[in-house]
Amino acid sequence: MLSVNRINTYRIPFTFEYYRPRTLREALEILRSVEGAKVVAGGTDLVVDMKFRRVEPKALVDVSKLEELRYVRLVEDYVEIGSAVTLQELVESEVVRARLPLLWEAVNSMASWQVRNIATIGGNICNASPAADTAPPLLAYGAKLLLTSLDGVREVGIGEFFVGPKRSIIRPDEVLQAIRVPVHPAGYGWSFRKVSRTSFDIAKISVAVLLKVDGGRIRDPRIALGAVAPTPVRARSTERAIESLSLEEALEVGPRFVEGDIAPIDDVRSTAWYRREVAKVLLRDSLRTAYERSLNPGWVHEG
Amino acid sequence: MYDFIGKTFPRHDGVAKATGLVEFTFDIEIPDMLYGRIFKSPYAFAKVRRIDTSLAESLGAVVLTPDSVPDRLFNPRLVSIEEDTFKDWRVLTYTPRYLGEPIAAVAAPSEDLAQRALEALKVEFEEVYEPILDPFKAMAPGARPIHERIVRGRTWVEVRNNVAAELRYSEGDVELEERRSDVVIERRFHVPRRYHVQLEPKGAVCKPEPDGSITVWTTTQTIHNTKILISQVYGIPMSRVNVKKVPIGGGFGSSIHTNLVTLIAVGLCLKSGRPVKLVLTREEDMVHDHVSFEFYMRIRAGATKDGTITFGEFENILDIGAHQVQAYPLLGTALGWFVSLYRWRAVRYYGRSVYTNKVPSCAIRGYGAPEVTWAVETVVDEMAEELGIDPLEFRLRNYRGRGEIFWGQGPTVKSVIRSDGVPELIARGSELIGWRNRGDPRSKTGRYRRGIGVGRGFHTSGAGGPLSGAIIDYSGAIVKVNEDGTVDYITALQDHGGGTLDAHAKIIAEELKIPPSKVRIVWSDTATTVYDVCTHASRGVYVGGEAARRAAAEVRRKVLEYAARILDAVNPEALRVEYDRELDDAVIYVEGAPDRRVTLSEVARIAWQRNWGSISASVSYRATAAPPSFTVYFVEVEVDTETGIVRPVRVVAGADAGTVINPELAAGQLHGGFAMGWSWAVGDEVSYTEDGVPAHRLSVADYKIPTALDLPKPEEFVVLFASTYEPTGPFGAKGLGEAASNPVIAAVANAIYNAIGIRFYEIPITPERVLEALRERG
Amino acid sequence: MRVRLRVNGSWVEVDVEPHETLLNVLRDRLRIRSVKYGCGIGECGSCTVLLNGRPVTSCLVLAAGLDGTSIETADYLAKTELGTRIVNALLLEGAIQCGYCIPGFLVTIYAALKSGMIRRGDSTEIARAISGNICRCTGYINIVKAVRRVVAELVAIGAD
Repeated sequence: MLSVNRINTYRIPFTFEYYRPRTLREALEILRSVEGAKVVAGGTDLVVDMKFRRVEPKALVDVSKLEELRYVRLVEDYVEIGSAVTLQELVESEVVRARLPLLWEAVNSMASWQVRNIATIGGNICNASPAADTAPPLLAYGAKLLLTSLDGVREVGIGEFFVGPKRSIIRPDEVLQAIRVPVHPAGYGWSFRKVSRTSFDIAKISVAVLLKVDGGRIRDPRIALGAVAPTPVRARSTERAIESLSLEEALEVGPRFVEGDIAPIDDVRSTAWYRREVAKVLLRDSLRTAYERSLNPGWVHEG
Repeated sequence: MYDFIGKTFPRHDGVAKATGLVEFTFDIEIPDMLYGRIFKSPYAFAKVRRIDTSLAESLGAVVLTPDSVPDRLFNPRLVSIEEDTFKDWRVLTYTPRYLGEPIAAVAAPSEDLAQRALEALKVEFEEVYEPILDPFKAMAPGARPIHERIVRGRTWVEVRNNVAAELRYSEGDVELEERRSDVVIERRFHVPRRYHVQLEPKGAVCKPEPDGSITVWTTTQTIHNTKILISQVYGIPMSRVNVKKVPIGGGFGSSIHTNLVTLIAVGLCLKSGRPVKLVLTREEDMVHDHVSFEFYMRIRAGATKDGTITFGEFENILDIGAHQVQAYPLLGTALGWFVSLYRWRAVRYYGRSVYTNKVPSCAIRGYGAPEVTWAVETVVDEMAEELGIDPLEFRLRNYRGRGEIFWGQGPTVKSVIRSDGVPELIARGSELIGWRNRGDPRSKTGRYRRGIGVGRGFHTSGAGGPLSGAIIDYSGAIVKVNEDGTVDYITALQDHGGGTLDAHAKIIAEELKIPPSKVRIVWSDTATTVYDVCTHASRGVYVGGEAARRAAAEVRRKVLEYAARILDAVNPEALRVEYDRELDDAVIYVEGAPDRRVTLSEVARIAWQRNWGSISASVSYRATAAPPSFTVYFVEVEVDTETGIVRPVRVVAGADAGTVINPELAAGQLHGGFAMGWSWAVGDEVSYTEDGVPAHRLSVADYKIPTALDLPKPEEFVVLFASTYEPTGPFGAKGLGEAASNPVIAAVANAIYNAIGIRFYEIPITPERVLEALRERG
Repeated sequence: MRVRLRVNGSWVEVDVEPHETLLNVLRDRLRIRSVKYGCGIGECGSCTVLLNGRPVTSCLVLAAGLDGTSIETADYLAKTELGTRIVNALLLEGAIQCGYCIPGFLVTIYAALKSGMIRRGDSTEIARAISGNICRCTGYINIVKAVRRVVAELVAIGAD
């Protein structure tokens, strides 16, 4: 039986315990000791899921105000982003704009301003939506996630984090503390593209591309896609196929291979067929843009 | 020429709305109030065995079941005369026929408790049937009847093959005309169900009064019909039901009928004896309350080589869902739109409304006109192309214009067209958009292709006519002059936001020559107003405005009569009235003796001091016509042939609304009408899974409407008004709200054709469909 | 739980339940009716308020986490100098129709002008800033024109 009478979008239709720890350690202790506790940061996905009764946590541990999770810093050759940094803070971050332009471009296309002011990067990752727009750029950059529990910190490549729609390897007693993103490699071009039903909507398809050009040949291409597989995916076979090709060749070859890297489905937002076709188009567009930008190394996004 | 009409004045309720201080239904709080929640059927077609209310009641909730409300069939819409009203609704039911149909309701002292009580209800189902979701399957032999018997007027009628209503019509000799035709085109069109997305979720507050009457505040386009329906369903005398007018957060047809939420709130209030507030959540409003009709249309039409349209055949199947709102009248109106668009020499029509186990459908802006206009304008475009005639020329030759009989609102409301701005709008609009240079789709290449399309349509101004007909259509107005010369305007007519009541205030001001700021629009109720049928059918300015004008004219006569006494004129005919800018008042003077003058304020004061009595008038007005407001849209789009995404580039929106009373608000109707039409053309759709669950099941997250970034910018949107004057309208005015959106789908679809050479016969024209069509063509 | 909030300039202490959103607290506990419920899931923008100066959809924010924050709502912002300009511009441009969404727009526009989200005042920049607010009546055109009018006024008086 459908739970039509259990849904309520005006007021969350059930009660739960709410914890507002002052330190990360305190948060981890609560997660360890309170059965059924769940981490909440911005809540833009979780609150909706609770109103629809998709999840019914017994307790929430609010980490959104923890200073330990709220920073963006440049550390040697990577940028470390606290998980409770909001999407809008990322858009406004000079470090992100200059050092992680591919991530910046993706975040700048995400959600409404009002939601960007609440939603966090950690939440976007931990919600593990196949359409999470931060994921393709982070996959392309080879970001690492710091998952912290009372047992310590484990560092996991973002490629290993997602295991299915809304499923990841994070344990209930863990908090995603920070994301370590290698700084944008010098001379690489980049492009993030997506199509959605309306502006700032969830992607039907998203593509992130990072590449270098050497003597008119594409080198070290890194391609990741969103909303076209059970998780955000790296397009490894496409990357291998276009390595060392000219742009014209890559535009020809890339789309043929990308089909094998994705497994789109029909849903309320689009069809599998459309996603497959347009993934190829966005790949071409992104390759072209990234190629051009790599030839123009001084180019940055306007703040 | 006019002192106030056609000039910009800030709307009277603007500040209150912008600051959020205006109270919508949801904002109304009454001490000691209970909060309601509805138990919605989790199945699309089922039978309830029993409802166990004990746990919910033990939580302190009042519970309403089908046993606690009168077992009386009704139709929530009272706009048609009773003989044409098909009744198949109950307030609560043991036989839910759509997913979400109300079975029971609870009310409790807090919203959280109400939710808990709702979840504590135990509803046991005796049988769950396989839902019938497709109208063609519903009509097939052997299909389970969704309703066996319903009431038409006051008579029980059998329902056969799940056909809720049908209408056949013919005129002229179709076969003969077809033989004469040089081109014949037949096409099938499909329009899905769409949700209104009015921003305010529907709700109601009902309060018991110490004298045993009830007061109701609710989301409605008609307070009087709401009063009548409550009275009929609950058997309460109308004098004991007072429905208050509250602002409505968008109508678009979603509250022409009285929403179930209103009747359920009344039931909870009567049972508990306490005030009750019942407001739908967005997902309830969108998924379980109602949407708009689904159309399956077949059109066959012909024309001769010289560019004359010959015949039109129209088959129209409406998927109405599980209950009737306008199932029958819409069959007539759809025919009316069809017939009145062009001068068909012969017409044949067969319309059927079919029950399915889906949420009931009701009108959405245009009441079938946007859908029928799209279909007809597509066929007309195709015929023009086949004949090698410019589509604009072809339209000008064949459309129904001045002097011709017109019956947009169906066969029972016919009148003669007296004003027509189509030639002007086509001439000016085509120039502005660059029609001549739009090019042939076959010559267009490249990834991004632009195209220009035209759509011409109209809407009626109300549903009046010289004969009474099958539709109730009249308005009322009370105008009274206060003792200081300010004016109270009291009307039941609802303003959905288009500025209708501001137009009325200007009409009254113009008639009396006092500034609109002196005319107060009183928030009224059914007890203190005379009947107004409903704000729908673009009738607010044309019918309601004329009622206001007539009341003001009567007041003016009395003012002149009193002024004649004061000025010692032989009679009122010796007097003239003018607006005096300095005094900011009407000045009445004797013609030829301008020093013999008195202001309206003085007249009001003197009439009071000398015991002459109040200066007031109450008018009930029925229009003898429902003149068409013509609209002509030119739209330029850009199609990305690799993603299928269609983007609006430029819009020229031309409207013949007669005299324009509120220029910036009238332009706003065209902006908003385009936005809604664009949304229908490229995006809006409610689809269903096999269980009868809407695919957009949850919320507006899965039902996206355009944002500011998805629509034309101010510099890309031109509004044109034709310089027409409608002799039957107040100061020459006609309606606009629906004409503003009616030809939009047609114009967009024709523009897409002009860009890529592909016609679409199914909306929405999504990127998925565009890309598929482009790939199929190769 | 007890939280201290600075609501429209005054500190208030309010008891909130963990499952209450900021929208619930503002409407049901503090009786601020300018905050409208439109969808409850952050899609329509009708419930937009300022949280520490930033626009947020209050239907998504858990109130229990807001201790010590500052909240401003449309009715309050409308009384400020900038708010008054925005209201006037909306009126003059005919940007208000049914009026249900418009307090949310007012908050977003206010924040966009204050924060520099709208700087140049061209239509695209404005449309981008307000694209989290949905309106079904106006097609947004007169709303965009109203914002352009405010920007022009601010330029004329030499404001930043």
